[in-house]
Amino acid sequence: MSRLIALLLPVLATALSGCVTSTVDEMVFNEPVEGIGDASVVILGRRHASDYDTEPEFIRCLGDHITARDSSITVVDELDFVNALYPWFEPRTAPLRPEELKRLMRRAPVAERLREMNTEYMIWIDGTTLRTDSGGSMACGIGPGGGGCFGFGTWSNDSDYEATIWDFTDRAEVGRVNTTATGQSYMPALIVPIPIIAPVQGTACDGLGDQLLEFLSAEY
Amino acid sequence: MSHSMTSADLLPRRYSLALLLLLLVGCGPTQVVVEGSFPPPLMTPLPVTLGVWYDEAFSQHEFADEAASPGDSSWVVSTGTAQVEMWNTLLQGMFHKLVPMQGAPGPDQPNPAVDGVLIPHVDELQYAIPAHTSVKVYEIWMRYRFELVSLDGEPIAEWSMTSYGKTPTAFLQSDRAAVNLAAVMALRDAGANFATGFTRVPAVNQWLEAHNVPPARGTP
Repeated sequence: MSRLIALLLPVLATALSGCVTSTVDEMVFNEPVEGIGDASVVILGRRHASDYDTEPEFIRCLGDHITARDSSITVVDELDFVNALYPWFEPRTAPLRPEELKRLMRRAPVAERLREMNTEYMIWIDGTTLRTDSGGSMACGIGPGGGGCFGFGTWSNDSDYEATIWDFTDRAEVGRVNTTATGQSYMPALIVPIPIIAPVQGTACDGLGDQLLEFLSAEY
Repeated sequence: MSHSMTSADLLPRRYSLALLLLLLVGCGPTQVVVEGSFPPPLMTPLPVTLGVWYDEAFSQHEFADEAASPGDSSWVVSTGTAQVEMWNTLLQGMFHKLVPMQGAPGPDQPNPAVDGVLIPHVDELQYAIPAHTSVKVYEIWMRYRFELVSLDGEPIAEWSMTSYGKTPTAFLQSDRAAVNLAAVMALRDAGANFATGFTRVPAVNQWLEAHNVPPARGTP
């Protein structure tokens, strides 16, 4: 019985996932030939735009994706990095261009802290996942004999993220990766609502994570 | 006729009273006491001894939002304790020595000897709640006014500064946590704005020069 459940679970999970279309564009200028070695990398979300913020959970997802596939890569936690270098990486003060890193590194305490952290690459992620449209209707009711829902709902999500890789040693941009993903989710309800969710942000995370892994890891 | 009440008789009354109190508490505004950890700034301290005085309006600062309709909830958000914690941490890192004042600076007020006293004020606060923005993202905007005075209370400089913070993610946040995060982000932004802009205030720059702070050091 448990074997049957184990066999059916992936099938059920696939059946209950909406479809996602994803594309990845990569532009790398100076890839490290043997990975980043003992150095660490930090992945930071851009949060200076007025209408959107790059989600912290997306940044965590990328870090987890990279370290799960190559445990030799040290990814510094975003909040730890920002706290260690406060106030220089807040949304108001974070460098927007690699040239601004040079100015930042002229501050002795900042340069010393970065040396201690042995950070070789800084990856800026700019983008977000948005719900673009939704439709359908659903009605739920409850009575003495029980309750239930009837109807159908649908919505679509779009992810658009760009990763910009900065080299700390050369203080220059060395790569840029862009990923977009779009997917349609459904929620039919016949007594019980059954959500069929399209993992749009997760697909974008996997796509971008794989490309970053190719850049950072000697094994990929 | 008189009758005595046993503790068993009192029990239902106590339960009723507790239930009534719970219901009354449920009708009151949602209280949030802002809590967060604020990192020390990574900069070379300015070689001056600064006094700081927080008046009652600042150290017990709070703002309230009245419910617009019966379905909405009212809020009381206390930021005073977090304000004092953040400013103490920031100023201790920015200056050679920080001394808390015993009273508002003035000719008759005995206070420890310092080079100048900073008095922060929150002059204006605006906020956007999900009822306005339709997603569980709270936004807080503050306008600060700073007075830099001598030990006798003579004005040295006065300037304004703004700060902004919003809930970084709507993902699995309770309303209280979302409000707290927005306030913490606004406080961090205030610290970043102050730390990077302090020496750009012309009157502050003159005061620093009078205390033999070279221009290079005067730019934290």
